[in-house]
Amino acid sequence: MNAIPISQRRIVGLALLAAALVAWRFSGYAGQDRLGEIAIAAIFAMSLDLMVGYGGMVSLGHALFFGLGAYALAGLTLFLKWPAAAALPAAVLLTGIVALVIGRLIVHLGGVFFIMVTLAFGQMGWAWFARDRIFGGIGGLSGVPQLDLAAFGADLANPGDFALLAVAVATVVYLLLARLIDSPFGAVVSALHRNANRARALGCPVQRYKLAVFTVAAMLAALAGTLQTQRTGFVSPDLLVWTSSGEVLIMVIIGGLGSLLGPIAGAALWTLLHHYLSAVTPYWMAIMGSFFVAIVLFAGEGLYGALARLTRRLRHV
Amino acid sequence: MFRAEGLCKSFGALEVARGISLHLPRGARHAIVGPNGSGKTTLFNLLSGELSPDAGRVFIDGRDVTDLPPDARARAGLTRSFQKNNLFPGLTVRESLAVAMAIGVGLGTVFWRRFARAGDTYRGAAAIAERIRLTPYLETIVDTLPYGTQRQLEIGLALAIEPKILLLDEPTAGMSAEETAEMAKLIADLPDELALLVIEHDMEIVFDFAQRITVLDYGRVLAEGTPAEIRASPEVRRRYLGEAAR
Amino acid sequence: MPDPASLVIQLLNGLQYAMLLFLLSVGLSVVFGLMNFINLAHGTVYMLGAFLGLTLVRATGSFWGALALAPLFAAAIGALFYAVLLRRVQGESAMKQVLVTFGLIFIGIDVVRMIWGDYEEAIAAPALLADSVRIWGQLYPSYRLFVIALGLLVAIVLWLGLERTRLGAVVRAGVDDRVMAASLGINIEAAFFGVFCLGCWLAGLAGVVAAPVLQIYPGMDVAILIPTLIVVVVGGPGSLKGALLGSLLIGMAETFGAVLLPEFASFMIYAVMVLVLLLRPGGLLPARPAA
Repeated sequence: MNAIPISQRRIVGLALLAAALVAWRFSGYAGQDRLGEIAIAAIFAMSLDLMVGYGGMVSLGHALFFGLGAYALAGLTLFLKWPAAAALPAAVLLTGIVALVIGRLIVHLGGVFFIMVTLAFGQMGWAWFARDRIFGGIGGLSGVPQLDLAAFGADLANPGDFALLAVAVATVVYLLLARLIDSPFGAVVSALHRNANRARALGCPVQRYKLAVFTVAAMLAALAGTLQTQRTGFVSPDLLVWTSSGEVLIMVIIGGLGSLLGPIAGAALWTLLHHYLSAVTPYWMAIMGSFFVAIVLFAGEGLYGALARLTRRLRHV
Repeated sequence: MFRAEGLCKSFGALEVARGISLHLPRGARHAIVGPNGSGKTTLFNLLSGELSPDAGRVFIDGRDVTDLPPDARARAGLTRSFQKNNLFPGLTVRESLAVAMAIGVGLGTVFWRRFARAGDTYRGAAAIAERIRLTPYLETIVDTLPYGTQRQLEIGLALAIEPKILLLDEPTAGMSAEETAEMAKLIADLPDELALLVIEHDMEIVFDFAQRITVLDYGRVLAEGTPAEIRASPEVRRRYLGEAAR
Repeated sequence: MPDPASLVIQLLNGLQYAMLLFLLSVGLSVVFGLMNFINLAHGTVYMLGAFLGLTLVRATGSFWGALALAPLFAAAIGALFYAVLLRRVQGESAMKQVLVTFGLIFIGIDVVRMIWGDYEEAIAAPALLADSVRIWGQLYPSYRLFVIALGLLVAIVLWLGLERTRLGAVVRAGVDDRVMAASLGINIEAAFFGVFCLGCWLAGLAGVVAAPVLQIYPGMDVAILIPTLIVVVVGGPGSLKGALLGSLLIGMAETFGAVLLPEFASFMIYAVMVLVLLLRPGGLLPARPAA
């Protein structure tokens, strides 16, 4: 169930897509590289919004799945010599299996407990890959091969081509998630987010639904992770570090929890802010943290909520 | 078709259920009465699966469901309404009933079609709303409904999954006289094959619909029988009914 | 077959680390039990305690002075956060409060970097405890024994406080059933505030105490936060006994894990957490056992 009317979603969605395409058309290499980065972050953020905004499970360890997707792709292509085109879906699936196992253990946990445990699992992943010698330890691994899109006339080494691919994938992900949320499955998830107790009393196997949401969210995060390897050719434990998990949550909250489109804008805003601030000051974390605290305290509904309030006010004028 | 045998439950030193047994045939109209603290809601929690008994068993259609959680029991045909409104905040009446129906028929596994067009749930929701006299409120968000109307929806949600056994926990709690009369009509209109168990304080309602009454006192069954038997029972008169019985 | 001497040494190491974790986790756990709220910036308070201790030691030349003062500063900072930030979100979901503290972690790291720089620091153990003792033929730093003793002392004092004082009774009632306690007219707000500040004081204390043993650096907050959270999950929220048991388990797992299975050193604690999640999801000794 989506509380936002379809007409409004269409307008905002198209506006975001238009902005992306305009940016792509008129940017140089640096701008297009940034756009690719934003598109990946948007997919990552949307996946977390599914888990947090719709499933009601606040995770501080979502980067674990992002990183697993990336490392799985790297492993399959570099060590098992799989072609990237086969490795990509396989990496997403493998991460899904890991998510099923972890999710089975933890989705029934209450809110704050869940946060703590996801934070711990996220760090566990980071610690594993930081020590692991096969994957290069803390330094990571480079040379991850890219998808061969020559048949489509595209070369992913070109930031413009990559950005277009990433934006296309992000658009498809959004459409799929929007349909999922509008479906009976989405309606049940929405109900159990609002009142799990009553849903259960009506016969809903609440934990199974939460596990499904957890796993789908994890797989989409993994997809974002695989795209990241395609953008940089590089994997490192930094992909899984707790600040990554924190930043994607910030993107979702800034954008507007549960709006699916908001997190896309949140991803764009945060990515640009992060790059700008870290170029200007070594203390960007303090600024980002303050910004985040301010948003949580004063603008709980994020950018999307502000937009909705604005349009409501304009309508009454 | 619904049976509970010897249910016992203690919280530390406090015994809240002491060997309660109950039997509901098809079409039963059964009331549970008793003073506050006699263990009525605890009994419901034991029957619906929110609480696990220390001893005793619960059977639906001969099947032992004692170890099953509430959602499994609901899928086996038993559901309840709650003493305090337990609705889905932020949803409209239609959406609430539709999602309840969807849960009831297992539509939640469908993830590729739009909810509004999948199955008959949106139309079915309107039909249920009609039965519980909530048609004018279909597009209203439940949080904004008046209390009595919410109470009706509280029962409507349970009805939406077409249960075989329905437990109603104080359906008229906090209602005005007109709202109570509405609720009495609603209860009278419930399907004949439905096995109905109602906790109530309002003795008029009880004697109106009930074919059998169980009186609870400090967690145990004080008396059980037809309304006439209960009215005549000396223990009940002494302990509970007092001047309320006419 | 490891000889008994090194076994005892490792046991003491594990115990020392466990006491450190206890100082950190007990405040976090009781606050969680009382308010259903986890202060993710608890590690930040610990880090501030350590750095403040560093400054105080350098300024006064006295470790004991730092030990006395730094925790007070830490408690004051905690009180400030509580009054200014956390109370604003009090009425709202526990989630919002937790998210606010998460933002504070980001701020805390940079504040430390701004004031003290990016380098790894160290405090030397005080002169009184600078030497070693002979245990079973091996030399063992007396400072580490001091840490163990301090931890146990705190545990005993806290236990007495919970069991024998009125504030303790209020806290126990609040953990048990907050709504009931509040409706009995007990000033649960004041109790929350008191316990929160005490938790911060303990975190600051842990920071100074840990300094001669572990490294001081920006980022030490998250490094200790994870094992502390695992202790709360394993031990069970809201109880002192849970925090103690959890700390012992995790402390020993980390220490013996590093010695016996160096390949998997950091994973022992996660393995313990996973095991507890599998077998006893509410924790081993929670204040409110699951029905």
